[in-house]
Amino acid sequence: MTRWAMVADLRRCVGCQTCTAACRHANATPPGVQWRRVLDVEMGEYPDVKRAFVPVGCQHCDDPPCLDVCPTTATKKRADGIVTIDYDLCIGCAYCAVACPYQARYKTMRPTFAYGRAMENETKRRDDARLAVATKCTFCVERIDAGVAQGLTPGVDPEATPACVNSCITQTLAFGDLDDAQSNVSQLLRENRHFRMHEELGTGPGFYYLWDAADDGQATD
Amino acid sequence: MTQDGTRHVPTYCYQCVAGPDLLTVKVIDGVATEVEPNFCAADRHPGGGKVCVKAYGLVQKTYNPHRVRSPMKRTNPNKGVDQDPGFVPIGWDEAFDLITEKLTRVRADGLTDASGYPRLAVSFGGGGTPQSYMGTFPAFLAAWGPVDMGFGSGQGVKCYHSEHLYGEFWHRAFTVSPDTPLCDYLISCGANVEASGGVVGVWRHANARARGMKRVQVEPHLSVTGACSAEWVPIRPKTDAAFLYALLHVLLHGSPRERLDVEFLAKHTASPYLVGSSGYYLRDRTSRKPLLWDTRSGAAVAYDTPGIVEALEGHFEADAIEVGADDEVLAEGRLSGETAFSKLLMHMASYTPEWAEAICDVPAKTMRRVAREFLDHARVGEFIDIDGVRMPYRPVAVSLGKTVNNGPGGFECVWARTMLAALVGGLEVPGGTLGTTVRLNRQVPSRVDSILAGPDGFMEYPLNPTDKARWSPNPNIRNAYRTMVPLAANGPWSQALGPTHFSWMFLDETPKGLPRVTLPDVWFVYRTNPVISFWDTPDIAEKIARFPFIVAFAYTHDETNHSADILLPEATDLESLQLIRIGGSKFVEQFWHCQGFALRQPVVATQGDARDFTAIATELAQRTGILDKYNAAINRGAAGVPLKGTHWDVALTPDIAHSPETIWDAVCRAASAELTDGQQSNGLDWWREHGLATRPFSQAKWYLYPALAAQGLRFELPYQERLLRVGTELGRRLHEHDMHWWDGQLAEYQGLPKCDDHGAVWVASLVGHGGTAEAYPFWLLTARSMQYAWGANVGMQLIREVADNVAGHRGVIVNTQAAARLGIGDGDMVEIATPQRSVRGRAVLRQGIRPDTLLLIGQFDHWATPFSKDFGVPSMNSLTSMSLDLTDATGSSADIVRVRLAPMGEAAR
Repeated sequence: MTRWAMVADLRRCVGCQTCTAACRHANATPPGVQWRRVLDVEMGEYPDVKRAFVPVGCQHCDDPPCLDVCPTTATKKRADGIVTIDYDLCIGCAYCAVACPYQARYKTMRPTFAYGRAMENETKRRDDARLAVATKCTFCVERIDAGVAQGLTPGVDPEATPACVNSCITQTLAFGDLDDAQSNVSQLLRENRHFRMHEELGTGPGFYYLWDAADDGQATD
Repeated sequence: MTQDGTRHVPTYCYQCVAGPDLLTVKVIDGVATEVEPNFCAADRHPGGGKVCVKAYGLVQKTYNPHRVRSPMKRTNPNKGVDQDPGFVPIGWDEAFDLITEKLTRVRADGLTDASGYPRLAVSFGGGGTPQSYMGTFPAFLAAWGPVDMGFGSGQGVKCYHSEHLYGEFWHRAFTVSPDTPLCDYLISCGANVEASGGVVGVWRHANARARGMKRVQVEPHLSVTGACSAEWVPIRPKTDAAFLYALLHVLLHGSPRERLDVEFLAKHTASPYLVGSSGYYLRDRTSRKPLLWDTRSGAAVAYDTPGIVEALEGHFEADAIEVGADDEVLAEGRLSGETAFSKLLMHMASYTPEWAEAICDVPAKTMRRVAREFLDHARVGEFIDIDGVRMPYRPVAVSLGKTVNNGPGGFECVWARTMLAALVGGLEVPGGTLGTTVRLNRQVPSRVDSILAGPDGFMEYPLNPTDKARWSPNPNIRNAYRTMVPLAANGPWSQALGPTHFSWMFLDETPKGLPRVTLPDVWFVYRTNPVISFWDTPDIAEKIARFPFIVAFAYTHDETNHSADILLPEATDLESLQLIRIGGSKFVEQFWHCQGFALRQPVVATQGDARDFTAIATELAQRTGILDKYNAAINRGAAGVPLKGTHWDVALTPDIAHSPETIWDAVCRAASAELTDGQQSNGLDWWREHGLATRPFSQAKWYLYPALAAQGLRFELPYQERLLRVGTELGRRLHEHDMHWWDGQLAEYQGLPKCDDHGAVWVASLVGHGGTAEAYPFWLLTARSMQYAWGANVGMQLIREVADNVAGHRGVIVNTQAAARLGIGDGDMVEIATPQRSVRGRAVLRQGIRPDTLLLIGQFDHWATPFSKDFGVPSMNSLTSMSLDLTDATGSSADIVRVRLAPMGEAAR
């Protein structure tokens, strides 16, 4: 089996938003729709303050709350862990956006462009199927599927890897198959302490955050 | 191209000095759609072939509807912020006719005016990065003759000025970097590398953190770099020198001497040189070489005597001569001297951590611990092999931020940083403090190759003359760098490294002794917007409005070209052609294992009627009758590569106007030949397909130490005898011409720099303008925005959108508790004011900033640039006042100003 997952090393991230911009390019999302973005978080009080940068987006949960509330079965979960939205089935009710504890879903009602009217690149990439429906990070599923079909390895070969991972200038983001013990992500999780966001909700996110080296090389949640 | 009409076109992005980044652009049916890393370059680019966030704005930049798409001329003769320029479209022929008429008149009237200043002035922005976009325009300027390139647009206050000048003087370090891949402990005083280091800097530091490098970030606000550091030390603004002096004190007076790199100090610095009672080296009476004490022979000998064992400390007597400024013999005979190191010890004795604590508001125990940790990580005595060269291994370094190392106090910080490295032998060795590029010395691909033996066992440095015979009160350009700043040298970059605000300041009142500063007859401006990016910007706007004829290469309407007479739309980043050098060691943290060239090529068709810059330059050369000189300049290498070399000759015919494709094809062939010693001569088509070509560059060339040791040269530290002499001579020359307005700056020329509370300079300025420290209690600072810095991309919607994810881009950052005391809530409108001016913006409340500090990231306050004029985010540049009092001896000042902060009341919320 395959379980695609994302890993973000919080020791590396500088909040540069290159992944945010790359995602906007790769997926041609309209202004303000950031399937991948990086939060700028501050903790503590002066002078004992910490600031951290946290990449977020759809967590591709094992048990996605968005799926449960979808009245049309537009939201589905593939066997490889990727949560998808069928735009033909989606009615734009936005229940999923409300249910998602990660605020990962967007809905755009009308065509929007950077400067009011469409530029050439926006016209070229325009996709009205995405209007009035829920959208979110797809883990660049088309790249993964096309890459795998060509015998490429997502997370290793750029053509088969999500755009945010390809773009990351700090090697914060890694992508790979959790079910492959030798994959890059499996190795990272073995070698580092990590957590998942809102673990207590039981959603089983497919997005892991590294924050320190494991003392004994064993994974520690 | 694939069957579905998709292409991936290799090109480069060099929007900031931390570039270039190598990228590909996905083009579908002739339309640019996506920027991606150039994965084929991943094994050669030191940032894994990744691309900075700024490059992702290039697609919008290409298709931006606000672009100037045809030449335009001004129809309103009145200029000013309140005037509508009345730009109307014209054809290229008319634009060239209008420009040629002015340029022809300049050539007829004489290239310089009655004051001796060039009638043609040119300003570029971005630390030289526009050169990677202006095609062969440098060849036009070379062919033209005298050009004033000293009207600043950011230099000085916005650069690493003291580092540039002193860094290059001491260790060929126009920019300074830790050897991050090998460094274990880094003290970063305000160096915001995660925002300013580009892809390569960020990549290297992320790897270093993962490897365990500890970075201590010393800065008044918790920047993105501070966020990613192991420790944040919230220092009072502009007091970093005191912090660094305290560290030096602990190393010199609080640590066993043997823990320092005594051998490095004795053999590779001037520490053992004997300094006489008048502050100059004791010299051999015949050879005039500096003397040191040889413990083996028990005698004073010349510094380069073979087989000596240098005494590092002590007072000694010697038969010697002491020579001061202007070759004046100050003493001769049996003279007493002490080693420079002994002078250093005495000099640093009073700079205790407790002394520093009172100035910089950092606990003395913190400074003692940081100094101890620095020493503990220094590995004094260890060696490492780099590409077969055995070198000392010192994995500790100190980096300095922009406001730390320019303006008053900058010299002290840069000196202290370099001395911290020298004390542990960590200067220009693996793991330590390195330079990355040279700009003032002879420019060669490798810094190592720039080393020439100079006087007294040190490297040569092209100081501007200060002797009576050669110093001149008549500058070649308006900012007077050759007259006033010996360290600025006189190379291609020197005009931009002088006191570039003088060109603006002295328009109103030229100080005594200098020829009256005049307006240039013609001013070309490209990729710079000094009305926004310099200091005292309202004043800059007013002065630009007086310029008689401005030609602006214009991407969109902006605050500077608002006063232009002609707007010329050049084909932008993804539309035009140029080959540049890459690799070796370049700005910031650009250390490569290869060197070569990369091509920027038209990815898509040019929008509107924009023209390739090379075509514009050629046309200007032809119309002004200097085409032969222009082509000759290209043949000599003005486009980046000499077209005739040892193994190749692709020189252009001088008297023909060549197309951009012909010119760059020749440049490509020459570059190929240079890379392969004449084995290949690939033309433009090959480069269009492959994008880049390189050959190996040894990591051993990242470090100066082996080359200096091989030549028997020493680092010119700790004592600054040469600068003391130069400064004394400069003072004499100025006073001989009754010029006393630079006396404050002359005090910077010291053998060993004294340290003080340098923030007091700004408080004094505040008082001089009618304020008091109590009434204006905040330090207003700025910080680099990675998303915007250098990019001239403030009009890109995508850039604004993603930048807004980073705190502070929407307003002024205020400490939460300090804001509460003033009744200011998050998002409230506030007024930030000096005694002279005020700006307004929204408060962004954060814990990660000192209560006495405010922060305005980037530089906005646009009023003409489409899109960004609606941001509503103020800029500190609107509040700072140009002043000699705030100018240091290198001609720079710092981005800092005292202000008050006040809520604007409920109505404004």
